[in-house]
Amino acid sequence: MKKLVLAIFALSTLVSNAQQEIPLKGKELFGDMKARHIGPALMSGRVTDIEGHPSNSKVIYIGTAGGGVWKSNDGGVMFNPIFDDYCQSIGCVAVDPNQPDNVVWVGTGEVWTRNSVSVGDGIYKSNDGGTTWQKMGLDKSDRISSIKIHPKNSDVLYVGVLGALWGDSEERGVYKTTDGGKTWEKIFYIDNKTGCSDLVMDPIDPNIMYASFWEYRRTAWSFSSGGANSALYKTVDGGKTWNKIHNGFPKGKLGRIAVAVAPSNSKIVYSVLETEFPDKNGLYKSEDGGASWKHMNADFGLVVRPFYFSRIVVDPTNPDVLVKAGLYGSISKDGGSTFKGLGAMHPDIHDIWFDIKDSDKMFAATDGGLYRSLNQCVTMEMIENLPISQFYHIAVDNQEPYNVYGGLQDNGSWYGPSSSPGGVEARDWEVIGVGDGFRVYPHPTQPHIMYSEMQGAENVWRYDAKARQTRTIQPLPVEGDPKLRFNWNAAMTTSPNNPDRFYIGSQFLHRSNDKGDNWEKISPDLTTNNKAKQNQENSGGLSKDNSGAENHCTIFTIAESPLDENIIWVGTDDGNVQVTQDGGKTWLNTTPNIAGLPANTWCYHIEASKFGKGIAYAVFDGHTKNDMKTYAYKTSDFGKTWKSIVTDDIYGFARSLQEDLENENLLFLGTEFGLYVTVDGGMNWSKFTNNMPSVAVHYLEMHPKTNDLIMGTHGRGVIILDDVSPLRQIKPEILEKPLVFLKTPPAILWEESTFGGTSTETQFVGSNPSRSAKIIYYLSKRHTFGKMTMKVVDMEGKEVTTLSPGKQKGINIVEWDGVMKAPKVATGKTFSFGGMTPPRVKAGKYKVVIEKGKEQFETEIELKYTPNTVFTLAERDEQFKTTIELYKMTEDLAYLVYELDEMLKYIENNKEQKSLSKQGAVLNSKLNDLKKTLVITTGDNYVGAAEPQLREKLGDIYSKVAGYYGKPSNSEYQNIKLITNRFNKAKTDFETIKKGLFAKYLSSAEKIEIKAMEIKSYEEFVKK
Amino acid sequence: MKKIATFVLFLIGTQMVSTAQTAEEIVKTYIENIGGEEALRNIKNVKMTAKVDAQGMTLPLEMINTSEGKMIVSFEFQGKKMIQQAFDGETSWGVNFMTQKAEKADAEQTENIKREAGDFPEAFLDYEKKGYQIELIGKETMEGVECFKVKFTKKPLLADGEEVENVTYYYFDTENYIPILTESEIKSGQMKGAISQTVFSDYQEVEGVYFAFSINSRLKDGQGQPVTIEKVEVNVDIDDSIFKFPETEEESGTEEGK
Repeated sequence: MKKLVLAIFALSTLVSNAQQEIPLKGKELFGDMKARHIGPALMSGRVTDIEGHPSNSKVIYIGTAGGGVWKSNDGGVMFNPIFDDYCQSIGCVAVDPNQPDNVVWVGTGEVWTRNSVSVGDGIYKSNDGGTTWQKMGLDKSDRISSIKIHPKNSDVLYVGVLGALWGDSEERGVYKTTDGGKTWEKIFYIDNKTGCSDLVMDPIDPNIMYASFWEYRRTAWSFSSGGANSALYKTVDGGKTWNKIHNGFPKGKLGRIAVAVAPSNSKIVYSVLETEFPDKNGLYKSEDGGASWKHMNADFGLVVRPFYFSRIVVDPTNPDVLVKAGLYGSISKDGGSTFKGLGAMHPDIHDIWFDIKDSDKMFAATDGGLYRSLNQCVTMEMIENLPISQFYHIAVDNQEPYNVYGGLQDNGSWYGPSSSPGGVEARDWEVIGVGDGFRVYPHPTQPHIMYSEMQGAENVWRYDAKARQTRTIQPLPVEGDPKLRFNWNAAMTTSPNNPDRFYIGSQFLHRSNDKGDNWEKISPDLTTNNKAKQNQENSGGLSKDNSGAENHCTIFTIAESPLDENIIWVGTDDGNVQVTQDGGKTWLNTTPNIAGLPANTWCYHIEASKFGKGIAYAVFDGHTKNDMKTYAYKTSDFGKTWKSIVTDDIYGFARSLQEDLENENLLFLGTEFGLYVTVDGGMNWSKFTNNMPSVAVHYLEMHPKTNDLIMGTHGRGVIILDDVSPLRQIKPEILEKPLVFLKTPPAILWEESTFGGTSTETQFVGSNPSRSAKIIYYLSKRHTFGKMTMKVVDMEGKEVTTLSPGKQKGINIVEWDGVMKAPKVATGKTFSFGGMTPPRVKAGKYKVVIEKGKEQFETEIELKYTPNTVFTLAERDEQFKTTIELYKMTEDLAYLVYELDEMLKYIENNKEQKSLSKQGAVLNSKLNDLKKTLVITTGDNYVGAAEPQLREKLGDIYSKVAGYYGKPSNSEYQNIKLITNRFNKAKTDFETIKKGLFAKYLSSAEKIEIKAMEIKSYEEFVKK
Repeated sequence: MKKIATFVLFLIGTQMVSTAQTAEEIVKTYIENIGGEEALRNIKNVKMTAKVDAQGMTLPLEMINTSEGKMIVSFEFQGKKMIQQAFDGETSWGVNFMTQKAEKADAEQTENIKREAGDFPEAFLDYEKKGYQIELIGKETMEGVECFKVKFTKKPLLADGEEVENVTYYYFDTENYIPILTESEIKSGQMKGAISQTVFSDYQEVEGVYFAFSINSRLKDGQGQPVTIEKVEVNVDIDDSIFKFPETEEESGTEEGK
């Protein structure tokens, strides 16, 4: 029987091998490679929804625009991300009132529908307080505004689906489930343009609900809020029938409608309207459950930008206290008659949460993070551990460590270091632009010069960080120019060939060769120049909204070839890919050559290749036409032909692509739902998920020195994948061998102090890259059974240290911080902290040996001293020599004390022997007297510490010398001499006792034939 | 040719059967594969000798567990043996690093240890009798390997004064039905809400039972400190007094290592 089973196994392997090659994809490709988050959190990002536990005020959830869901377990001090594997754009969070500790629902797709808003992909449920999630359908809902759970039955839910923003959709309206989300029934639907923007349940009677419907639509060039179908409805029979409740509302079209019921008096209902008549906009109040309405207030704070601010929150205990979200947020304490602004915080307030036990304690969700107030929003305090910042774009410089530059949604332009002593903290970031920030570039050779911009290139700044001077440098129209059209996120870039060159795109390509002081147009209008898409002043619908966000028919991406300054690629938001090979004299529109790409699909990014002048990649984003497909193409002939490099492995529309700097087949693609990697030029793609959330990756950059992949994410700040060079080495051949070492660059032995870090526990601190040497290998099968060990030996084969090998299938990365094992230290009553120092090894080559079962694998790694050093090689050698001498002395002392202790034990064990007792007593006292001078024999490890003895003094000088990188000082040498002399005297004293009294004792013991003393050899004793 | 085709079909068929697993079958196969119920029931105690590499130092570790739920974990530092944690069935205690004296753990920790005291040598053994529940969540790739993800719910534990769910997710390698990783949520303290992972490898047979000789506990996506087990001894002679909280200073819990 066993044989048959084996045969089947053998055959099945044969069959599968014969049928297909092993595809180069899967989680195992990445193994131990992990993304690193550097934030920042100091400006944070947009929070869309706040929801608390109904009876435990310590538990608070927030939904964010692009950073997923975060949970606090301590009343809103610390937050953890709990939704990293799923869509990060959140419409709403709901806690089940029947099982509030366990059941949580998340509706994806933000409902504050600005131009840069992301998309959702359904509704999710957790049964364990947010630890694990299951998708429960409504996949095409696009954005979910509300989830209402029946207060007595967890299986009954009502969901308000606002639906698609960029196109028609039938998945809108009110949905109901009676089986906990397994199946859904659409119980109320208006049409494919009008969605449910608010669903509110009566606090006492769950059969009573209010639903507001909103007719709305965005295109890339316009926005429309309002229509004949926007309305407010009420049901009193659990959603079977719905009636319009407009008694007291103005006639005509309505826009977005906010609605809220006072939790402490369910007859009182508030609503905020967007109407055709500005003086009729604003707050309406009903005191009879919506049967009739009274217009209360039309203040600016209540009517501003309804599509962006449409939430009313009523104090849970007082029906007269309510807050309306808005530019600054407004609070009323007289039932809506009058309002005042909320305290100073980041503008654009989207939601409010009142503490369930203390209405003075409140939270506010803004474009700049989450705020907390203890005095009903008079003074506000920002939560500083939410790195949900929304970058549109990033760039890097060539400094050490390199800096990351980028601009953020409503949060200006910044740069900060990729690593910093103590971690990347809030104080490490510098602001270099206001308004909305987008593209930020350092000058390629003058690091103190940098460029930044605000929306629609209204200002483009050149900033001199040394002089702290700014100059605005945006191109201006000159005689004969039409109106210049700049995108909201206007294209600009530096040149890889000429450091003073700078490009900006309107509908024309503008080039400056003097850092933006003077400009020339080097192209005709490169867009489709469709006049029908240029009526932005009429955009907005019922409330005009011409912020520049809908500017269209503009250049969106510019790429000068790193191989030839005359080759320039331009992509436009209306779907053109243009190329010049003569520095702008002639242009070719290559778009007609792109098969399978729908017309006018936004060209989001063009990557000009390093591997051939004619090679380029173009990434297209169709989501503003309600097309969520992934589009990425490659050309090798200047755009004459284009080939799609996309497979079904990829989920989500893409915005960015990065070509590896060495391996043409290694590509990185940023999509709306995370990072994808191919190692075979696009035949197979794998999602990278190691510490990498499913966040929208808006821009990718690779650092030429470190080989780091730097990601500008729109919701989780800057995320770095350190040194991607192992991925360059993944070839089909290595998957067939049991273990293959991958090449690593020589590791640098850093010489910096460990000082740094001033942040408090409640502030986000970005993690630093590992500075250890790395041993990297690919295992074709996970090691589960039998032993597997790893050691480092020097080139003579002498063991330096042992390490713990990784055992997973795929890439394993084992880190070694370039130290040997700490010395064996003498045993005393307390511990010697000096003796805990492991000595650093010298730079040079080392062998790494892995033993796996019976097999042995070997590789070499190299360590180098940092080039930024103040020490000479001779000084380092002297430091190493002295360290090793003191190391040896530490172990010699340890062995001496061990011998002494063994002698004491032997005497103790034989004290009953009459013939030995007298000798024993004398020896015991002599040995103990000596021991007291060698190690501490009393006290504790804290403030009860005893006077230090030889071991402690030796430990201190050892760690002092070992901890420094240069030659020891004269004072140190003198101290070493003092300690050495003392040790030598101790050795002499010990030898005198050992060879004198103790030898006699042993021979007496031998005479009475008692058991001889057993003692470990020196080598055995110091073995680690 | 036809024969081969049928055979391939047969293979596909068996694979389909093997994929339609239940949590009960997975756990049953796991128990069988590591040595079987009987071998597990014969274990009265286990003594593990191990080492852990930490900051350039190698610390020898010793762990003893008994089927009565008693346990002791100690490590050796600069020639001194420090008891990190011990439990005698009633009292949980450990030695303070500063004073080197034994101190009792807080009541909540002691209660939590008591609640899980019946899990040795194998928590899945008689899990139903213990009132534990298992549920197959699905398949997931862990450590590059396809795994069955099994939700294991034990009796609730206490965290900051409240009863909390005690859930561990086990990832059983679909090839061997051996757990290679477990995950659970941290329920109290500063890391509350974060996920901790334990990775198992280097399984070796001792007295007819497979033990993981390499155990790495870490925060999800973080670096761990792997414990390498050098020796496992089953049913050794143990003086019960080692588990007891030392009431006098002489028995303070530190002693010179061997």
